[in-house]
Amino acid sequence: MLEVFIFATLNGLVTGFLLFMLASGLTLIFSMMGVLNFAHASFYMLGAYFAYSLSLYFGFWGGLIFAPLIVGVLGALVERYGLRKVHASGHVAELVFTFGLAFLIEEAIQFFWGRDTKNYQTPDLLDFPLFTLFGQEFSAYRGFMMAISIAIFIALYYVLTKSRVGIIIQAAITHPQTVSNLGHNVPLIFMGVFGMGTALAGLAGVIAGPVLTTFPGMAAVLGSIVFVIVVIGGLGSLAGAFIASLLIGLLQSYAIASDVGMPDLLNLLGISFDRSHPLNDLWTMNLPQIAPVLPYLLLVLVLIFRPTGLLGKREE
Amino acid sequence: MAILSLKDVKKNFGITEIIRGVSLDIVEGEKHAIIGPNGAGKSTLFHLISGRYNVTAGSICFKGQQIENKPPYEIARMGLARSFQVTNIFQRMSVFENIRCALFWSKGYGYSFWHLLGQQTELNDEAMHVLDQIGLADRAKFPSGELAYAELRALELGVAISSGSELIMLDEPVAGMSHSEAQKAVELIRKITEGKTLIMVEHDMNIIFDVADRISVLVYGEIIATDEPTKIRANSKVQEAYLGEVHSA
Amino acid sequence: MALLKKSSIWIAFLIALLGLPLVFDSILAISILNQMVIAIVFALSYNMLLGQGGMLSFGHAVYFGLGGFLSVHALILIEFETMVFSILWIPLIGGLFGLLAGIFIGSFSTHKAGTVFAMISLGIGELIAASSLIFSSFFGGEAGISGDRTFGPMFFGFDFAQNIEIYYVAAVWAFIATLFMYLFTQTPAGRMANAVRDNPERAEFIGYSSRKVRFISFCASGLFAGIAGGLFALNYEFITEENLNAATSGRVLLMAYIGGLGYFIGPIIGAVVLTLMNSLLSNYSELWMLYLGIMFLLTVMYLPRGFAGFIMMHQIAWIRGNMKLLIKPYIITAIPALLFTLCAIALIEMSHIEDEVFHYLGLELNPASPITWIVILAVAGGAFYAVKRSLVQLNDAWETANAIPKEEEA
Ligand SMILES: Nc1ncnc2c1ncn2[C@@H]1O[C@H](COP(=O)(O)OP(=O)(O)OP(=O)(O)O)[C@@H](O)[C@H]1O
Ligand SMILES: [Mg+2]
Repeated sequence: MLEVFIFATLNGLVTGFLLFMLASGLTLIFSMMGVLNFAHASFYMLGAYFAYSLSLYFGFWGGLIFAPLIVGVLGALVERYGLRKVHASGHVAELVFTFGLAFLIEEAIQFFWGRDTKNYQTPDLLDFPLFTLFGQEFSAYRGFMMAISIAIFIALYYVLTKSRVGIIIQAAITHPQTVSNLGHNVPLIFMGVFGMGTALAGLAGVIAGPVLTTFPGMAAVLGSIVFVIVVIGGLGSLAGAFIASLLIGLLQSYAIASDVGMPDLLNLLGISFDRSHPLNDLWTMNLPQIAPVLPYLLLVLVLIFRPTGLLGKREE
Repeated sequence: MAILSLKDVKKNFGITEIIRGVSLDIVEGEKHAIIGPNGAGKSTLFHLISGRYNVTAGSICFKGQQIENKPPYEIARMGLARSFQVTNIFQRMSVFENIRCALFWSKGYGYSFWHLLGQQTELNDEAMHVLDQIGLADRAKFPSGELAYAELRALELGVAISSGSELIMLDEPVAGMSHSEAQKAVELIRKITEGKTLIMVEHDMNIIFDVADRISVLVYGEIIATDEPTKIRANSKVQEAYLGEVHSA
Repeated sequence: MALLKKSSIWIAFLIALLGLPLVFDSILAISILNQMVIAIVFALSYNMLLGQGGMLSFGHAVYFGLGGFLSVHALILIEFETMVFSILWIPLIGGLFGLLAGIFIGSFSTHKAGTVFAMISLGIGELIAASSLIFSSFFGGEAGISGDRTFGPMFFGFDFAQNIEIYYVAAVWAFIATLFMYLFTQTPAGRMANAVRDNPERAEFIGYSSRKVRFISFCASGLFAGIAGGLFALNYEFITEENLNAATSGRVLLMAYIGGLGYFIGPIIGAVVLTLMNSLLSNYSELWMLYLGIMFLLTVMYLPRGFAGFIMMHQIAWIRGNMKLLIKPYIITAIPALLFTLCAIALIEMSHIEDEVFHYLGLELNPASPITWIVILAVAGGAFYAVKRSLVQLNDAWETANAIPKEEEA
């Protein structure tokens, strides 16, 4: 029981930190431009694919360094030549644009890389168990994923709160006009932030690709979850996104690892139903089965009872 | 008989007190002007009365009923209509549609999805009549978002007055208009509000002395005087706090 | 007079719906027509939300899918004679269930429009799609559920085994649904939906609760999406989780947007164009989804009001009788633009193809030879340059055609 709990916690943290890498970029972009980037997870997928292709020539480590850069540049270009143009038509148009972009990137990936799963592997260097607990191994690669995510988290925190650029960014979020009057190039900052956010997503893709498998549906798998996170955390709140990432990561991990379900609950209450009961599916449901649904359930509940999210301030 | 009465109304934004205990009785049928320096809280007071903001403390009675903290649509249905300082219309709809929508509730259409508007001759005539009054009849089919500034202000006024409410509140209805446009607008306001109660925020003293029966002076969230125009002009407190400032400006 | 003019459009629409299968009577054509009328109803119902009510939904397939599932269940009940009624009424069942779902979900999701509404719709869409896989006795798991439409009482000797018979049923339903959706825009509730879309705050000061206005549109939209789902069930006789998931929700957004949100006819155009592309292009190229994605992004960027908006842009020129000024510049731009598009498609296809020879527009191209590539690239480059040049003229012509005539200015 304890070992299940410990491993579920560790895996939940790994997922949570990974999710935060995506959610942080999405949150930054939202707070700057007021647009939820639907294609964010697509940049994550691009990261994985670029890293896979690069790894064929330069090994895993080459991919780790260059793939996020390429993705970041692509993201900046999208902002410069796409999003900025659509901006004039309003928020709905922007959201719809990023939605279309997600669709296009998925198709483009199938065009360039094909529909099949890519054999993107963890590097040999990290192919050993980091530690063994109760006879179960925790791979070094997962430890590496966690280390990278935490390093990014700290770096991001430092950049945003301590550095000059970070302070300008924070100011540009709340007072774009003033910042622009002070002589800073706000469009350039926007482009930079979009590039950085997508690069972070790309990095997440690079390190997630080998474990979560690199295939054309990988954006769809994570995409809506990341959305859920930034909304639950509170749109525009980095701290909220952090809490929500870990929350969702752990929640899903525990739900999958647990083996309780409705039958247990019914037993506890001393109720039993016939197998032919019309709601049989409901009475036999168990937690691992509904794990994928939980984030969305949480989302709907949060939005109904606290539309601003956990730590969000914006009313609209 | 007071149609509207405010008792010790207060409003805070965060820790700042913007309205600091306003009490005011508006008599049925009077034309009441509210004046005061920029940032005094005039618009905020309008928002409190019309239900856009909740009050922090105090009570507001309209036609004998408590209305503070009621949603705007309930207050509007009771017969209180208002305009906004910053033009606030339905910008993607035509000028005619804007006016017609403003008429729906008072004409008893409610949320109907069974009346076809093309067949509601009386409603449509009424909307055209309002357009005639505000001088936008030839703009009826025009998308309202593309009107010129003075026309927009006229439409803003039209949306506020078309419902035929007993109490009409206008927030700086002629601000930004040229002298002749303002003159026309004032005439219109006078005509439309005949027999009704009017509360109006305005900066132009000539207009106020022209239209208002009584004036309240709001300074820094408090009403420092309420009286007839001539007496307000003579009031030393007002001169000191407000008129002096305007004249010197 | 005005009434006559208006009803003549509707009569023309009805004649077109009923006459199309006489002109296009192949099996493929009938199947495309069937998809088309279903898509029209679905896209129009989406437009009630986004175009008319300002609610961006990422989960509209929920109402379509739920309506469809209930309809298939109804087919099954008819088949086992638990209930006896003509399958003609199936779309109504779908619609009622869509309406019920709309009432339930709308009761808590229409507080706000904007991002909050969009996110709730996304969450609910994912929630229901994922739950549908759990509750497999109702939804049939991955495989979905299927029925048979040939049971139930006959209708004047028709048992609806043929697709063409179902087409006429669907066409009549689509006509009714379209008419009612149009009439809805002409009622106080429909007009207030526009008002709330434009300015929810001001709507409250003229006596309307924005939330309730949204709720009414939302329910109506659920009803018509459910009818579309019922038509789908009748046509295909099966339905799966795919019909209520995010992909279907995305597709209807695409249709309505490409067609043009602000206009009643927009989603109809979008539904027709996309269904045609879907059925025809997918025969020629497996990359058609890629083209669709590119087309969608270009539409959002350059035609924010969709195809219908593009057509309506010419209203002023038309009224002023200046269309003739535009025809020549349009043709001059269109020819190189078409050439460029064809070259781009050729390049995309060639880099994807594995055969020795690439058959394209009656030509036999050799993808392995660099010369083919260079020639096509050169033509594409030339065409691109020509488009750029001619756009300048087109712009000038546009200005002249839309310019205010002298006497009107004075
Ligand atoms: N939503 C709000 N949150 C915080 N402060 C506000 C808010 N609305 C108004 N204020 C502040 O309250 C004060 C009064 O504003 P208000 O708009 O009521 O003034 P006013 O008398 O109408 O001025 P003006 O003549 O410029 O229209 C101002 O200092 C303004 O900054
Ligand atoms: Mg004001």
